[in-house]
Amino acid sequence: MSQDHGVVFIIDDDPSVRESLNSLFRSVGHVVHTFESALDFLDRERPNDSACIVLDVRLPGPSGLEFQRQLAGLGIHIPVVFITGHGDVPMSVSAMKAGAIEFLTKPFRDQDLLDAVHRGIELDRECKKDQAVLNDLQDRYDALTLREQEIMALVVLGQLNKQIAFKLDLSEVTIKAHRAQVMRKMKARTLPDLVRFADRLNSAILKQ
Amino acid sequence: MSLTGNTDGDQPFLISVVPPGRRHKRLAVLILLALISALFVTVPFAHIHMAHTEVFVPAYAAAVFVNELITTTLLLVLYTAQRSTAILVLSMGYLFSGLLVIPWSVTFPDVFAQLGLPDTGLQSTAWIAILRRIGFPLFVLGYAMMGDKALSIRNPLHPVRRTIIASIAGITLLVCVFSWIIFTSDDALPELMRDARNVTALWKYVPGTAVALYVIGIVTLWRRRHSMLDLWLMLVLCTLLFEVILLSYIGAGLRLSVGWWVGRFFGFVSATVILLVLLSETTLLYTRLARSVSAERFTRESRLAAMEALSATIAHEVNQPLASMVTNADAGLRWLQKESPDLDETRAALQRIVSDGHRAGSVVKNIRTMFGNGTHERGPVDLKYLIDDVLRCSESDANFRFVSLRTKFDDSVPLVTGNAVQLQQVIWNLTANAIDAMRAVKDRGRVLWVKCERLDLDSILISVEDSGSGLAPDNREKIFEPFFTTKADGMGVGLMFCRAIIEAHGGRLWTADNIPHGTIFQFTLPIDDSYL
Repeated sequence: MSQDHGVVFIIDDDPSVRESLNSLFRSVGHVVHTFESALDFLDRERPNDSACIVLDVRLPGPSGLEFQRQLAGLGIHIPVVFITGHGDVPMSVSAMKAGAIEFLTKPFRDQDLLDAVHRGIELDRECKKDQAVLNDLQDRYDALTLREQEIMALVVLGQLNKQIAFKLDLSEVTIKAHRAQVMRKMKARTLPDLVRFADRLNSAILKQ
Repeated sequence: MSLTGNTDGDQPFLISVVPPGRRHKRLAVLILLALISALFVTVPFAHIHMAHTEVFVPAYAAAVFVNELITTTLLLVLYTAQRSTAILVLSMGYLFSGLLVIPWSVTFPDVFAQLGLPDTGLQSTAWIAILRRIGFPLFVLGYAMMGDKALSIRNPLHPVRRTIIASIAGITLLVCVFSWIIFTSDDALPELMRDARNVTALWKYVPGTAVALYVIGIVTLWRRRHSMLDLWLMLVLCTLLFEVILLSYIGAGLRLSVGWWVGRFFGFVSATVILLVLLSETTLLYTRLARSVSAERFTRESRLAAMEALSATIAHEVNQPLASMVTNADAGLRWLQKESPDLDETRAALQRIVSDGHRAGSVVKNIRTMFGNGTHERGPVDLKYLIDDVLRCSESDANFRFVSLRTKFDDSVPLVTGNAVQLQQVIWNLTANAIDAMRAVKDRGRVLWVKCERLDLDSILISVEDSGSGLAPDNREKIFEPFFTTKADGMGVGLMFCRAIIEAHGGRLWTADNIPHGTIFQFTLPIDDSYL
């Protein structure tokens, strides 16, 4: 299996459309899982590989657009490609605004759909890689003692050891020792490394 | 099946055609009773002389003049719509009577003295009064005896405008000539007045004649009593009758007495009745029209919404299998293009295409059966009868738009086999389009011809011809496409259905240019040998 193959989740209530899409994606080497409704998708266990959702706008139960919002609310950030029987401009605009990869009107050119799905899988892979890095950083950060976290916060603000020692009412030697510990635990070779890590963690916290 | 319930009325809303309702009859009787009681109340005071009331004469004359002129105008409008000579005669009666009011008031003793007009003599006023009194009932009699269907709406060449102008000019000339004769030959005319207030013995014959004419008029109208206009004209003649009784018998011919003035009041009522009836009916009709227009708009909008919903559903139903067919075909191609083509997957994809194709086909078939209800019920259809039926229903619309309907039937046209309702729908659609097409025509007659003739041994040709502005060459075929329309309020499906119906009957529908103006829609229907 080559690098850009991934998992495609097809959610469409029409069995024949489901079957045809299934065959199309398998023919280019993707792993395909089909679902007949949004609830079906949420109920069933899914592999945690990089994936893309192909979603019909007109669905029994919550519509495709509602489901897109629901996914975001559940913290499932798999990219979505919409397919619809009737190309409705306002609908496609709101889908794209909510972060859809593409909005295709049936019948579509297969290459358009495949491209969109590839893009989605790529995006998900990036996203997952990103997430893995972030998780690692978070683990390292969590391994710091409270005092070390406190000192790290001040170090990345550019404060000198002397200033930190004064602020925390500790000796400069103690600060130096803690600081070396922080650099080691965070696996930062230089100060700029540490600053970047802190930024990543910060922005992740802000996102949540 | 008839398209409307109304088969006998050409113009079911005109007051000259619609029979009087119970409401109108009751109101007329009430007014009559009120007038009779006014008559009796006046009797004891009739002789009392009211000095110097001449000053009111001009006001009275002006009011009568204006009312009768407005009535004339409204009746002329009615005439243009209905083109009945009887209405024209009646309106001229009002014009005659209204115009004569001018010389009557001008010559009235002591009224216009200040103007310094030359004295036309003592007799002029009385002679003019006689002309009015005898002339008007003669016009009404003319109306009553002519009947109001003297001219058919089917005659497009009837020169309405020229007739109106000629009639007005004629009546005006007549009034001028009479006035001139009376003004200039005061001495030569037999004496009617002894002085400004008292009449001579000769005057005694005048009211008798007038009463006789009024009674004849009332009786004639009573015997036909056929429209709302007839009913109210009877009331007019009754008030005129009372006027004469008051002026001549109860008031003993004394001018400016109470009886004389009450008589004048009756005269005023008679000049106003028809005016009020025409105005109130017009307003009522206008309200109804406004209501029905908004109702029609509502129906059209809801029909449009239903169409939209329907077409969205159909589009979705057909699009779904179509999309999956395309995707399956794409997938199949991709399975084949692989280094080691996967025939099983390709076969499966093709299998799905087949079943999707059948699915799409069944959707289309369902739609067909949904719309095609009743298409199987075919039977013998008499085209002549069918066309006549449709035209009878279109006649009021045609009259309203000043379109004259004409037909030409070939006697050798046999019955055809078909669905009467659908064929009727086609003719209905084509005639309605033709009438619409002539909406903007101003400089020539608006004529709609429907012809039905034998084309050859095995087909019949039906043509619907208008004298409208014709079709743009670009639109000639487009008009048969669904949802194409040249009308602001059209849906663009009428001609599409027409063509579908005719083709389902084994015929053809096409258009041609009418010479020199307009469009011809023609269709053929096959002849069934069993009806020959």
